[in-house]
Amino acid sequence: MSKAAALCLLAGLGLGGQEARQIVEEAQRRSRAASERYEGTLEVRDARGRVAAKRWIYQRLGSHGDSKAVIRFTAPPEVKGVALLILNHPERASDQWMWTPAIQRERRIALQDRSTRFFGTDFSFEDLEERDVNQYDYRLLGEESLEGAACWKIHSQPKRSRASQYTHSILWIRKENYTFARIENYVGSHLARRAAYREVSNVEGIWTPRLIEMTDLRRGSRTVLRLEKLQYNLPMKEADFTLQALRREF
Amino acid sequence: MRGLAALLWAALAWGQDFSQRGFLEMRLTGYPQAAPSDRARAVAAALLRYEASYRITPGWRASAGLDARSDTHHEVERRWALGWQDRQRQRPAFTVRRASLLYSRAPVTLELGKQFIRWGKADILNPTDRFAPRDFLAVVDNDFLAVSAARLALGAQTDTLELVFAPRFTPSRIPLVNQRWAPLPEGLEVREAAPRYPGGPQLGARWNHVGAGLEYSLCFYEGYNHLPLFETRLSGLAPRPRLEAQRFYPKLRMYGADAAAPLGWVTLKGEAAWFRAPAGQADEYLLYVVQLERQAGEWFLVGGYAGQKVTRAGWGPGFAPDRGLARALLGRAGYTIDANRSLALETAVRQNGDGLWLKFEYSQALGQHWRVTAAWTLIRGAASDFLGQYRRNSHAALTLRYSF
Repeated sequence: MSKAAALCLLAGLGLGGQEARQIVEEAQRRSRAASERYEGTLEVRDARGRVAAKRWIYQRLGSHGDSKAVIRFTAPPEVKGVALLILNHPERASDQWMWTPAIQRERRIALQDRSTRFFGTDFSFEDLEERDVNQYDYRLLGEESLEGAACWKIHSQPKRSRASQYTHSILWIRKENYTFARIENYVGSHLARRAAYREVSNVEGIWTPRLIEMTDLRRGSRTVLRLEKLQYNLPMKEADFTLQALRREF
Repeated sequence: MRGLAALLWAALAWGQDFSQRGFLEMRLTGYPQAAPSDRARAVAAALLRYEASYRITPGWRASAGLDARSDTHHEVERRWALGWQDRQRQRPAFTVRRASLLYSRAPVTLELGKQFIRWGKADILNPTDRFAPRDFLAVVDNDFLAVSAARLALGAQTDTLELVFAPRFTPSRIPLVNQRWAPLPEGLEVREAAPRYPGGPQLGARWNHVGAGLEYSLCFYEGYNHLPLFETRLSGLAPRPRLEAQRFYPKLRMYGADAAAPLGWVTLKGEAAWFRAPAGQADEYLLYVVQLERQAGEWFLVGGYAGQKVTRAGWGPGFAPDRGLARALLGRAGYTIDANRSLALETAVRQNGDGLWLKFEYSQALGQHWRVTAAWTLIRGAASDFLGQYRRNSHAALTLRYSF
């Protein structure tokens, strides 16, 4: 390869990285909201086709990399009240605590434990974190149509500062509205989890997928999360996203 | 109580900011071996637990819980009275499990009433957990009792100071003398005199720090041990000796600390408490736990060691299951088979080999509301060992729970 050709390729790769980052930044900008609340219904289907249903309430204050979120189970009855507090940080992985009302104790979810499935669903603890654009390096792989929608296909790799179970991910972002269409998460060369984002609708000016299907390819199981009663920019208080708040809620 | 009932009723009527949960549980326990003081081999028990909470205003919340229970083995009273203080020898048939009023406005949280207060970070044994008396009627299958207290927490996330004032003492419920969990010498008749409950309050303070890579806390407790010592007097001669025993709860001062640090592969947790006996009645000792914890895939693993160092010996026999798990290797393993099924294993092995407790549990959810749990507990050891003394109490249990 001639020097000129190599320089052109490097320049192209650089532009690809820059463009990819700009696409993700724009997707992040368009989904920005001061707060978010929804009621999630989850259908967990294992490899043998057995189904378990769960419900949770999700509340988030802040956005992308500097947010706080609480997920609290409301069903089935035996896990009612179990809650997860997530404190997302712009420069590193989130802090997470799980509250179990039956024993009146919270337990910190250590970084090395984040690959574990969250309470029998196919979401790992890490999958529940908010991903900030600055915590990853990006490379544009091209364009691809996914389920009838034109998408950008982007390679994403966590920066060294961000501990992750995944070595890299492939993102598909819809050109039409900059919403995620799919994320494939890899461990080495193996595809570990695939998240498909469907049923996109405009909620208070924010295009939002209302259905997320997470497939654990190692287990052959999948979880379908439906976002119901979704609201953005509700007034919320910082004090409701603390360990004290986690304990005091019923 | 009337006010609280009115609040809950109003909550039901309004149907907003009201949440409730509970379960009905039926449990059948079978003991392969008879015990000298207890020939029963099978025990059936039922428990109905209902808890409700209502947010009165954005800052105020009222919560209450009620237990109703019955059994075949007279561990539960046969009285139609509503218990509050948890000082009965048997479990009350009807009891207020918790009832409290909580006020929160950052950075203050104040809870008044009967409530659960948990301190410490370790799993199987918590030396610093001083406001957490338990029902030890079946020693190895115990449950927490709430305490009547005022709890003030200041701070929100990184640094929290918790102050507790408990004006009335709540003791742990210890095994009944005529049952298998009180393994007394054969032929010895025991008469229990009315216990001496301390009249003074209990105070506690705990400062907790949450850092990016380390969580730790320091705590102090001044009050009484919720586990009793016995004042005993032997009367009567062989072959019908009689022991008269009176429970009392010695003064206790505790200085404690706990910490948790993720170390890349595992999380290291430690908890230690130094117990002083201001009245000189009880032992003075250091009780500590060091454990490693790891969650990987479907596995949850905990392994550790509990130790104790007696710095000054007191007098008299007592009932101390916390110290009974000291000088032992502790372990817990959990495995999630799928969304509905799980396995768990817990164990404590005394370092001198004199005592072993091993519990294996299989649990399966049946639909949205039902769960069946089969457990098998093995206890072995020497009669002189805390665990070993229950060597005839290995048992299997089948529990069916309907949650709502």
